[in-house]
Amino acid sequence: MWTVFFLLFVPLFALPLLVVLGASFATHWSSVLPSGFTTGHYEAATRGEALQALTTSLVTAVSASLVALAAGTWAALAAAALGKRYRKVLDALFVLPVAVPSVVVGLATLVAFSQPPMLLNGTRWIVIIAHAVLVTAFAYQSVSAAITRLDPAYAQAAASLGASPAYVLWRVRLPLLLPSLTAAAGLCFALSMGELSATMMLYPPDWTPLPVLIYAATDRGALFTGSALAVVLMAATLLVLLAVSRIRTRASYR
Amino acid sequence: MALLALVFLYPLALVVQQSFQPDTGGTSVQPYADVLASPAFREALWTTVWLAVAATVGCLVLGFVLALIIAFVPFPGSKAVARFIDVFLSFPSFLITLALLFVYGTVGMANGAWTDVTGAAEGPFQFLTTPWGVLLAEITYFTPFVMRPLLAAFSQLDTGQLEAASSLGARAPRIVRRVILPEALPALAAGGSLVLVLCLNEFGIVLFTGAKGVTTLPTLVYGKAILESDYPGACVVAVVNVLISVGLYGLYRVVSRRAGA
Amino acid sequence: MSTTSSGIRFDSVTVAYDGNVVLDALDLTVGPGEVMALLGPSGSGKTTALRAVAGFVRPASGRVFLGDRDVTDLPPHRRGIGMVVQQYALFPHMRVEDNVAFGLKARKVAKAEIRTRVLEALEMTGMGAYARRHPRELSGGQQQRVAIARALAIRPDVLLLDEPLSALDAQLRSGMLAELARLHRELPDVSILYVTHDQVEALTLADRIAVMDRAKLRACGTPRELYRAPADAFTASFVGGANLLPVTVGDRGVSFGDAEIEVDTGGVARGASATLCVRPHLVGLGDGPNRLTGTVGEIQWRGATHRLYVDVAGHRVMADLRELKAPPAHGESVSLHFAPEDAVLLPAGVGGG
Repeated sequence: MWTVFFLLFVPLFALPLLVVLGASFATHWSSVLPSGFTTGHYEAATRGEALQALTTSLVTAVSASLVALAAGTWAALAAAALGKRYRKVLDALFVLPVAVPSVVVGLATLVAFSQPPMLLNGTRWIVIIAHAVLVTAFAYQSVSAAITRLDPAYAQAAASLGASPAYVLWRVRLPLLLPSLTAAAGLCFALSMGELSATMMLYPPDWTPLPVLIYAATDRGALFTGSALAVVLMAATLLVLLAVSRIRTRASYR
Repeated sequence: MALLALVFLYPLALVVQQSFQPDTGGTSVQPYADVLASPAFREALWTTVWLAVAATVGCLVLGFVLALIIAFVPFPGSKAVARFIDVFLSFPSFLITLALLFVYGTVGMANGAWTDVTGAAEGPFQFLTTPWGVLLAEITYFTPFVMRPLLAAFSQLDTGQLEAASSLGARAPRIVRRVILPEALPALAAGGSLVLVLCLNEFGIVLFTGAKGVTTLPTLVYGKAILESDYPGACVVAVVNVLISVGLYGLYRVVSRRAGA
Repeated sequence: MSTTSSGIRFDSVTVAYDGNVVLDALDLTVGPGEVMALLGPSGSGKTTALRAVAGFVRPASGRVFLGDRDVTDLPPHRRGIGMVVQQYALFPHMRVEDNVAFGLKARKVAKAEIRTRVLEALEMTGMGAYARRHPRELSGGQQQRVAIARALAIRPDVLLLDEPLSALDAQLRSGMLAELARLHRELPDVSILYVTHDQVEALTLADRIAVMDRAKLRACGTPRELYRAPADAFTASFVGGANLLPVTVGDRGVSFGDAEIEVDTGGVARGASATLCVRPHLVGLGDGPNRLTGTVGEIQWRGATHRLYVDVAGHRVMADLRELKAPPAHGESVSLHFAPEDAVLLPAGVGGG
């Protein structure tokens, strides 16, 4: 049974990642194993244009996640407070960005912000806005799932002790939601880091996130440089996710 | 609320509006007629749909088998594997395609091995730039999306039920068919329709395979808007794409809600 | 907070969920410093009544008063009540002392004052040594004490306890019961509304018991009144066990099957059917006044007592007897008796509740 599993699993899932990792250190790959070990791609991938792309990606992902988290949490809290019918409308509204192709989100953002009253085309803001729109849906979904799981007894106990709704939200409900909030933040961050399709439609020349750079590299045939960039992207994503999950375990064991 | 309407609904509305406005000005359905009649669009539509359906079927079969093994065959590393799937989901889709280029590409691993062994000048694996390459990449990337709900469903399955079935003399294939499959059906349906939607909308994979012959609706949108600057045309394709995937996503929500009930 | 008089008053309070009436025109007054137990099976509306006082459900009609304040339209956080619920609902992300201080901080009480009042509340519940712990490091009983300390720290006039002991095991429960009784002696001015389905808790703690069933108040009185002279069959069977026998009223007593029973008919018309209520522990074995004969259907040894189920005229009569040296065998014919003054005649039919 396990041999079947590994026959399917390893080539399909583990191999791609290992291959990318291997290729990032190589100059040639024309037989079973890559050849021409080098770290040159990394040197290229950690300075100049590539480094700038990395910081661009990080800044975009962080700001988009924060915006999405704030908007998603707020909307989820509002939905929980509203009646059933409104909540359904809100639910439907917030899942739309999941269903709509991200290319179309990119196109839509492009169309909307290329004309007055908001002329943001060619600025970094349009990229950040598109990312925020794309990931807000995920933030909303995970936060509202967490809110329904939260025992109302906590908020009620707090209210009976004389805490106003705002105080209850700030001192009781948000701290209790913190693990879910960080999980949602991690998800948003990872999605935004890897987002390519909407970004392709929107990015201005001075704001090139990593995925676009990877695409550009592979498109002109520089596969090995692309791999190195991809490894940098994966590493950055994983590091942030790891940090977020550290915060999360701390928060849940407090 | 107003914010969301501003940054999401307003642009979408503009897209719909622009799809009715050809470059010559005025409002007409001319862009629709043009685009719908064009062979490029029809081909893209057809490619998109069959790729998505085929990829979904592939993901369902593969995901079911893999999830079955992870959930029911005791193995010390199965937790790590489940963890790995989560990590896998957090990576962008084009990474897979990038990797496949090295594995099955013209100068990649598989062909390299073949030429080493047989001495042939060219390897047998030339499918990567065809729709089959896209299909392989999509199946690889989206299978975890099927496995996750399945694993969740399996973990809720009462092992006592399985033990009872096997104590009654049922063999493994029979247990899978009669006990596990009915329980997993809602999760399969939910995961399947999610993958279908995601495949319809997939952009990175198609773009990265460098398969110039493979055009799907999302790449058509991109091509029309950025490369040809044909915004009305792009908007038309976008509207069609949105209609298909939102419809399917609605189906997914209904199915997954029923699965949750 | 009201400084005039404390206490709770329900004035014809009706609560409905989606057209389903879960509390039907409740009229009830809890005096200042009184412990009122709301006793009833699940779904009887007792918790709904408590939540109406706390402000978590809005009455469809009727008013709720705390002291002489009409609080019907006030949100929960402006009512100034202490509440303890079954699952404790201690904030898991705060230490014990912060849990207890929560209500005081929310009211912006001065820091020094908070410290002394937290200490005081924790000392009162015997949890002073655990101030720095987190709730998950405490046992169920300890968590319950913290929850009580948290409710008491704000010095409420009214304390609402919603099945506070039902999550504890039997031994802890009787300990906490004594603890609650002591707290009430130390805080004689606090009115307590105590929701429970456990008659022992109600009989032990309460000054008065309100018996609820199917959204309605069935009876209200002191434990002694309800136990000795229940007003109806539901109250009789829910407050302590009871034999409820269908009888026909005669001249000087009632008849049950062939047996003539001497009892105070208290003005019930002759020839009417009624229910005779006799507590099992007041039934004796052997000859005596009001003799009933039957066969032993079942016998249970409970350590200090034997419980006999005797089939008399098609009905099962329970008798709790001091441990018998030579208990009767199954199927044996026995006689039971009880004193006329130990039986209460209820006008309603059997199983009125």
